[in-house]
Amino acid sequence: MSKLSSLLIKFVALSLIMVGAAAHADETCMSPYMAKIVGQEDFVYVWTLGEEGLGDEQDKLVTIDVNPISPNYGEVVNTLSVGGRNEAHHSGFSDDRRFLWAGGLDTNKIFIFDVHSDPAKPTLHKVIDDFVAKSGVVGPHTFYALAGRMMITGLSNNKDHGGRTAMVEYSNQGNYIVTHWHPTDEDLRGAEKSGKYADGYGYDVRALPRRNAMFTSSFTGWTNYMMDFGTMLADPEAMKRFGNTAVLWDLHTRKPKKVFDMPGAPLEIRCAWDPNHNYCFTTTALTSQIWLMYEDADGEWQAEAVADIGDPSKIPLPVDISITSDDKGLWVQTFMDGKTRYFDISDPFKPKQVYEKEIGAQVNMISQSWDGKRAYFTSSLLANWDKKAEQDEQFFKAYTWDGDKLNLEFTVDFKAKKLGSAHQMRFGAYGLYGLKRPYEAKNLVASGE
Amino acid sequence: MLILALLLMSVTVALAEPMSDIRLAPGDSRQGYERADYVTDSLSIPARQGISANLLANAQSSHLGLPTLSSYEQEPPDAAVIEIGRKLFFDRRLSGNKTMSCAMCHIPEQGFTSNELKRPIGFEGRGLKRNAPTLLNVVFNRRLFWDARESTLAQQVWSPLLAVNEMNNPSVGSVVDQLRKDTQYDKMFEQAFGESANMLNIGQALAQYQQSLLAADSRFDRWHFGGNRTSLNQLEQKGFEVFTGKGSCSSCHHISDQHALFTDHQLHNTGVGVEDSMRQTPDTIEVQLAPGVLVEVDQKLVSVVGEVKENDLGRYEITLNPKDRWKYRTPGLRNVALTAPYMHNGEFLSLDEVIQFYNKGGVSNKMLSPLIRPLDLTIEEQTALRAFLGSLTGSNVKDLVSDAFAAPVGDVSQ
Ligand code: HEC
Ligand code: HEC
Repeated sequence: MSKLSSLLIKFVALSLIMVGAAAHADETCMSPYMAKIVGQEDFVYVWTLGEEGLGDEQDKLVTIDVNPISPNYGEVVNTLSVGGRNEAHHSGFSDDRRFLWAGGLDTNKIFIFDVHSDPAKPTLHKVIDDFVAKSGVVGPHTFYALAGRMMITGLSNNKDHGGRTAMVEYSNQGNYIVTHWHPTDEDLRGAEKSGKYADGYGYDVRALPRRNAMFTSSFTGWTNYMMDFGTMLADPEAMKRFGNTAVLWDLHTRKPKKVFDMPGAPLEIRCAWDPNHNYCFTTTALTSQIWLMYEDADGEWQAEAVADIGDPSKIPLPVDISITSDDKGLWVQTFMDGKTRYFDISDPFKPKQVYEKEIGAQVNMISQSWDGKRAYFTSSLLANWDKKAEQDEQFFKAYTWDGDKLNLEFTVDFKAKKLGSAHQMRFGAYGLYGLKRPYEAKNLVASGE
Repeated sequence: MLILALLLMSVTVALAEPMSDIRLAPGDSRQGYERADYVTDSLSIPARQGISANLLANAQSSHLGLPTLSSYEQEPPDAAVIEIGRKLFFDRRLSGNKTMSCAMCHIPEQGFTSNELKRPIGFEGRGLKRNAPTLLNVVFNRRLFWDARESTLAQQVWSPLLAVNEMNNPSVGSVVDQLRKDTQYDKMFEQAFGESANMLNIGQALAQYQQSLLAADSRFDRWHFGGNRTSLNQLEQKGFEVFTGKGSCSSCHHISDQHALFTDHQLHNTGVGVEDSMRQTPDTIEVQLAPGVLVEVDQKLVSVVGEVKENDLGRYEITLNPKDRWKYRTPGLRNVALTAPYMHNGEFLSLDEVIQFYNKGGVSNKMLSPLIRPLDLTIEEQTALRAFLGSLTGSNVKDLVSDAFAAPVGDVSQ
């Protein structure tokens, strides 16, 4: 990158940090660069995998009305089919929150939805289908808003479909900018290999702008994430192909600084919100541990396993996690037993599980509101990793959290409605875009008469 | 300034010695992963660069230890045709959803097979029931596939191109049309064949690329056919004795007077297939979660998230003759050190496991080949045999892999 453009990035990044400091995200796991929803969310957008033999068999964005005062509360108010089974997986808003970028881990297509013109009815604004040709990276996973940019983590590459991969940076307009390869032994790219591993794998990304720090985790390549889960467990060669690292990056220069050993596929990263809390959590899917990345007294970043999740020898498979906005709680879903587990993380070095509940035969994603009072869950992990036959429950479930227990408010059965497999959730609201809720507008007119 | 930089770049490219850099193994090395003290030794993807080889010359020249190509009644090799085949081979757009090329399963640095799992997976992650064979020296196989169901390379290409679990193109015509519409390909086809792409010449092009992947002149060849007495060490020479003597491996993996393909082109029942179809499902399986971390997992847990494995009856599936149950083609053993995992189902992860299997006499069953019997090999003899199998790697494999690294990878672009 030229000096000028890196300066430019620094400038833009800095100016956005200031905006970020003033605003909070609605749900607790998103980029601090993003605008927030005031109060109650109106919609949850569910990025849904098409299933062979079910409905129209293709991936779609499903919009569910979640506002209790809406006449459509609890209902699917829109579905938008995008064509193909792309291995729909994760999605993320642009920093201005007007667009939702959603990726397909198989076809590498990126669907950019307009969610601001009519939050109840997102439209397909643009499809990026040359992601691989531009970057050499396969499996666009996390879409993380930076200043004017979208940072996209990859899971694989187009050379061997293995786990070595990169982060790919796009402009908000959807133009490719640059590829940031994860450090490997052959090319550490200036990073320090702090332990035994530098595998070059990737998965999630999160930033702590106030510390100029960015963190990535590591999963597995196309071959494994597309493979039948049971077949993979029985294939000792395939089981060797998982990431065992997390990487600390310089946020401004996008240069990797330190590679941490983190055996067993660390997935989602969640950083604390409090300005004095310089730490982030992640969980290892295969070894079932909570890990903490923290800045020590000398300003040096360290990584440490701080708790077990369930009985690791039974492979509970922790998947999505969610930190509360007060940094006191961490929700952890374990896919195999279909449970959500709430950890008290008041002492980040000693997480303690204080609550658990079975959500279904399988569970993956969670999204909670900023105030922590509402939590939504979906079922799907990956098309070929999901449970088979009748255990392949596919749902969206809305709960309220009263501080002691989860109370089920409603369920949308994605199988019965022939929608597909429910994966990642993002919140939408009229208020974000200066729009009035249509039913409230009507009431106004009615009372005016 | 820019011109100077470009000049400098071309000079460094010309001076570089890339061959020594090519690793004949996955760039993401997992050697020693079983142990807790495993350390990574990963290569950089952007540094995976190569230099084009003269494939025509490779196809035409004689290779110590191999028969000449002309004795195999193939189309005479042509540089322009090979070039099309090479482009097609690495083109991921040649599949129903534009993500699978031939090279995603026949990965060059992995012996033109897949080292990283037992049986490759294809379109939308669908499983294949067999291990991918190497394509090095594939032209010498009289029949293709583990069950010998196909006869020529030019015909064979349509199996993966159309298979729903491999590349899943909807029809022959859709592939033909796609290539005709692509101006680059169209020009290449017109120049090479004097006609646009069609079912026949697509097959010919891919066949000619694969035909050019000749790799011999191994240390074994130099010793056995070239008369170089020091090219094999004592242990490897001892291994050759076991291979042709007490182990009677060469009764199926043939070595002729002038050359060696290490196959009799026949099909045999060694018991690998019977074991796979008939064995009782164990209650638990061992699963590795991280370096040095192994757990016993209940089979019930595995089957909740797993599909039932497709059965495989070998040659029987083609002939429907019960005598052909679990018969598979004898694979050639050239470059065998590069092509793990082994056998039609990829069941053995290492050559040591293969040798142990033969040493105990395969898996007994009614149709077991009479040539398979307990061998009583001593530990030294097994070690020697293992060493011998390691001497069969062609001296030019790195050139072919480097050439593959230099080949363009086709992906959807705007
Ligand atoms: C999804 C993985 C996959 C893809 C893609 C794939 N192959 Fe294969 N290939 C295999 C497997 C597995 C076999 C063995 C199948 C069998 O024996 O039944 C095989 C067998 C072969 C053989 C027979 C080799 C022998 O010794 O008998 C050839 C030749 C071949 N493939 C070439 C190709 C070409 C050319 C392409 C692209 C047009 C291709 N393959 C695409 C997995 C793949
Ligand atoms: C009866 C004929 C026969 C004999 C004798 C025999 N093999 Fe084989 N070999 C085969 C067949 C057939 C296969 C494929 C079996 C399968 O996949 O189920 C095979 C597979 C192999 C493979 C795996 C190659 C690959 O690419 O997967 C190796 C290695 C091998 N044999 C080595 C040996 C050695 C060493 C000996 C002597 C100890 C030996 N064989 C004896 C017929 C034979």
